[in-house]
Amino acid sequence: MIQAKELYKSFDDLHVLKGISAVFEKGKNNLIIGKSGSGKTVFMKCLLGLIELDSGSILYDDRNFSRMDFQEKKRLRQEIGMLFQGGALFDSLTVEKNIMFPLTMFTRWSYQEKRKRVDYCLDRVNMAGSNELMPAELSGGMNKRVAIARAIVMEPGYLFCDEPNSGLDPKTGVLIDNLINEITKDLGMTTIINTHDMNSVLAIGDQVIFLNQGEVAWKGAKEEILDTTDPVINEFVYATEMAKRLKGK
Amino acid sequence: MNWLFHLGRYTLLMLRSLRRPDKHRVFFGRVLTEINNLGVNSLPIVLIISVFVGAVVSLQAAFNMDSPWIPEYAVGLTTRQSIILEFSPTIISVILAGKVGSSIASEIGSMRISEQIEALEIMGINPASHLITPKMIAAVIINPFLITISMVVAIFGGWLGALASDVITGDAYIIGIKSYFKLYDVFYALFKTAIFAFIITSVASYQGFYVKGGAIEVGRCSTQAVVNTSILIIFANLILTQIMLT
Ligand SMILES: Nc1ncnc2c1ncn2[C@@H]1O[C@H](COP(=O)(O)OP(=O)(O)O)[C@@H](O)[C@H]1O
Ligand SMILES: [Mg+2]
Repeated sequence: MIQAKELYKSFDDLHVLKGISAVFEKGKNNLIIGKSGSGKTVFMKCLLGLIELDSGSILYDDRNFSRMDFQEKKRLRQEIGMLFQGGALFDSLTVEKNIMFPLTMFTRWSYQEKRKRVDYCLDRVNMAGSNELMPAELSGGMNKRVAIARAIVMEPGYLFCDEPNSGLDPKTGVLIDNLINEITKDLGMTTIINTHDMNSVLAIGDQVIFLNQGEVAWKGAKEEILDTTDPVINEFVYATEMAKRLKGK
Repeated sequence: MNWLFHLGRYTLLMLRSLRRPDKHRVFFGRVLTEINNLGVNSLPIVLIISVFVGAVVSLQAAFNMDSPWIPEYAVGLTTRQSIILEFSPTIISVILAGKVGSSIASEIGSMRISEQIEALEIMGINPASHLITPKMIAAVIINPFLITISMVVAIFGGWLGALASDVITGDAYIIGIKSYFKLYDVFYALFKTAIFAFIITSVASYQGFYVKGGAIEVGRCSTQAVVNTSILIIFANLILTQIMLT
């Protein structure tokens, strides 16, 4: 479980987070939704300590992240997996070396042991046998899948995904969503997903918070979001032509 | 104000890069890779430029000193001093700033904009000591070797120039390069080469590390890295010469 309490962050005059509080539960897909530019990425990076907060506190299962020293943060980070918007695979390394990288840095495993774990992770994301490919040779969907494999290789307790299916065709997007959902449930991770895709919300949104103008404008579960009357949320939910027509029926 | 900001942020980045590496074996592997990338791969351009410039320097010296009042060995002596004191350490370093500096800035810059640096950070790895330090160590070790090779090749080029000049004989040139030789000059040259190597790698890495935006900004930062490192090398050269040769 991750708890954020009263997070504030601004860049000069731009107030991106204005007192955001939220609880993200274990074994669930916790979605953060909102328009582009609403601060989803900034929020996630604040939770991860990649961006320094102006004020507020963050708890990882009762461990106060804001008060941790350098070594404690480093140890916590080994329990965190992250899927970046563009995959962020190291483009000088093969798929295998990418996934193996955290193991090489933080374990004393032999190559055989590491290889076994890499193959398991690749298999888990349906990419078995692609060990020797370079990131430049992968399609968008394959890239995301390898990035998921790398994110889960250390068996993290916390998984962060920034727009996991942006830039993918709808069908591949659904596959990636399902994959994240399955892994979250299997491994009992606390998963936090940024998205602006309503389809993901309806498919895997165990818990959803809606960010608007730096605040949490709504929270609830996937089914409830269709029935809200709040105009701001409705505008987001029914933004597409397809959604509008379906609502009319 | 602006340059103070950069100086402060650069210093902080250097302090970060001095932290103990996360895994020593991986770190040494990275140093070896960088020695290959930054050093061995620069050898061809260093060889070509050195042999030709060496030849031109001795030709110029020969034509301009073609006088009965100047001893023949002066051509070799002048050529050797120009090469050892300035051409090889300074000019070749500026050329390396162009080749190596731009490649470092664009490599690290594109890792920044594609979030690979943040990916390292999330994993609990210090990106400065993982990415930047091996480059700095590699260049500080390998550049003095490159420059030594450049000196030898340029002096050889000078001999070819002397032969082609018809003004002096090859033997006179060789007597010239052997006269009044001070080992301290070579030490001075290699010392400043090491300083320049540090400037090239650290400034170019800094430039790439803090890039914001996209591909255009990466291109711009790599150009900027070449400009900045070249200027800094020339300045540092002036200061080091003041300190070490007076
Ligand atoms: N490092 C930064 N410096 C200044 N402004 C930033 C920075 N990062 C994000 N922003 C601004 O914060 C706002 C929220 O951005 P972001 O979190 O990326 O939005 P989202 O992920 O929801 O699309 C945007 O207006 C963006 O321009
Ligand atoms: Mg975003």
